[in-house]
Amino acid sequence: MKVWILIFFVLIANQANSQLKNQRCFVCHGVKNFGIVEQGKFKSLYVSREDFEASVHSKFACVSCHVDVRVIPHLTKPRKIHCLQCHFEGNVVGAPVTAKPEKYKESVHAKAVAKGKNAPDCKDCHTVHYVRKPEDPNSSVYKTRVPELCGGCHQTIKEEYYNSIHWAGIKRGELSSAVCSDCHREHDILPPEDPRSSLNPKNVIGTCDKCHSDVKLMKRVGVPVTNPEAYKESFHGIALKFGVVKAANCASCHGYHDVLPSRDPRSPIHPANLAKTCGKCHPRANENVAKGKFHVLPGEKESGIVYYVYTFFKWFTLIVLIGLFTHIVLDLVGHIRRKRKKASE
Amino acid sequence: MTAERKIQRFSLSWRIQHFLLMVSVTLLIITGFALKYHNTWLGRFLIFLEGGFEARGTLHRISAVLLFITAVYHLIYIIFTREGRAEFKELLPMKKDFSDFVESVRYDIGKNEKPPMYGRYSYKEKIQYWFFFLFVVLMILSGIVLWFHNYFFGVLPKWFFDLSQALHSATATLIITFLVLWHLYLVHLSPSNFPINTSFWDGYVSEEWLRENHYLEYLAKVNPEGKDKGEDEQ
Repeated sequence: MKVWILIFFVLIANQANSQLKNQRCFVCHGVKNFGIVEQGKFKSLYVSREDFEASVHSKFACVSCHVDVRVIPHLTKPRKIHCLQCHFEGNVVGAPVTAKPEKYKESVHAKAVAKGKNAPDCKDCHTVHYVRKPEDPNSSVYKTRVPELCGGCHQTIKEEYYNSIHWAGIKRGELSSAVCSDCHREHDILPPEDPRSSLNPKNVIGTCDKCHSDVKLMKRVGVPVTNPEAYKESFHGIALKFGVVKAANCASCHGYHDVLPSRDPRSPIHPANLAKTCGKCHPRANENVAKGKFHVLPGEKESGIVYYVYTFFKWFTLIVLIGLFTHIVLDLVGHIRRKRKKASE
Repeated sequence: MTAERKIQRFSLSWRIQHFLLMVSVTLLIITGFALKYHNTWLGRFLIFLEGGFEARGTLHRISAVLLFITAVYHLIYIIFTREGRAEFKELLPMKKDFSDFVESVRYDIGKNEKPPMYGRYSYKEKIQYWFFFLFVVLMILSGIVLWFHNYFFGVLPKWFFDLSQALHSATATLIITFLVLWHLYLVHLSPSNFPINTSFWDGYVSEEWLRENHYLEYLAKVNPEGKDKGEDEQ
């Protein structure tokens, strides 16, 4: 509470001449090669004034966050600051509060940080001084920059992803295409073993489905939209729904980071690679598995012979139903009529 | 001569075959229905009742083996036993069945005064037998492909599995339609059988029932002359 009141007063006191104060900070920190040597290593203390002033925090004074800097130049190293210093429920500076920090606490990253491992927290993705809105193309978390951002640590996966159709889509300007955060989520990144994870075998379908059942989007990018629906009606889909996690989900056949369309020879679902892909679970699979369509819906004309058999049986069943029903009704009507006749005689 | 005037219509072998068919097909329908309608509350309930998704599959396969045994038993019966051959002959469609059908409709709509004279099996029962014959063949064939897909993956093209699946599902729907509508009517709901024709269990029908429903068979069985003429030993 004390700290809180202190922050409040400091903020009020600094608001009026914030520009002036920031100007004073930039006297040193605005110099490109300003820094110190710490443990034998050069550490830059440069802050780009231009970028800071384009950030969402531009209207704040440096000392609004660095509250322990009382005199400029400051002689001691300022304490580390944290985003939650302002972004907490009930703050008076108008810092937006969301559930994201709470979600982050559940994530693999937060847990690794808690164990003392080198893992990202807020600043590693959102930057320290240059936080912009995610919609801002210059934001560190702008959609097209996400793979580079995550790839900073996850390098091999980044390279795999850069081979994928999703990245090709982004490069082409199709911003609905998936980047890391679309499947892994942004803040509540959980391990696939966690039943709440978007990557848990039971949730993978829903994760892909989010975009791949979107009729408008799939039409725009030329991807068949009925595939998730057909999958859900297939043996794999039904088994998975009832908890048989060994059944194939989307990623089992399509891959994930380097997902590619079937026309690409590198894709696991390219006809030439199908035997190997199906063979992962069905050891006798050979080139026969490539003879036919996948994600077949019997009611769709594209399904070929399956469609014709299905349609024939549909009508045949209906005819049989009507025929038998008519015969039964005739029999019963005849029976009743004869009974009445007998009774009247 | 029996005092209650009962006549044996179905042999023990016939009744065992019917019983096996009844049990296996009922189990197959219940377990298959659960899979087909997995999206509905009934499907989910049935899967729960059957002990979960994988247990449902096992139960379906056990029932399938039972049906397969029944089918083999039936084939042996109609090929290698005298009784079976005679029964099968009675079940073969004949010209008379078509005229019987016309006669029966005329009788129902009041054009004819008397019903057609049916033999051991009327066209209604023959339709049932042959439909079921076809169903069982289709179901066993497509079922084997689906059950042993891991083996057949090396032999059959992918579309054949889709076809088998569609066929299995469509035929099942047809079987259910047929059973619920036709079989239920023939042996339960039709006026002369209501509420149930018990001959599937003990093999006996009353003399009166036989005379009313299978007049020619009645003659063959009760009339000694008919007995001499008939190839059926009983």
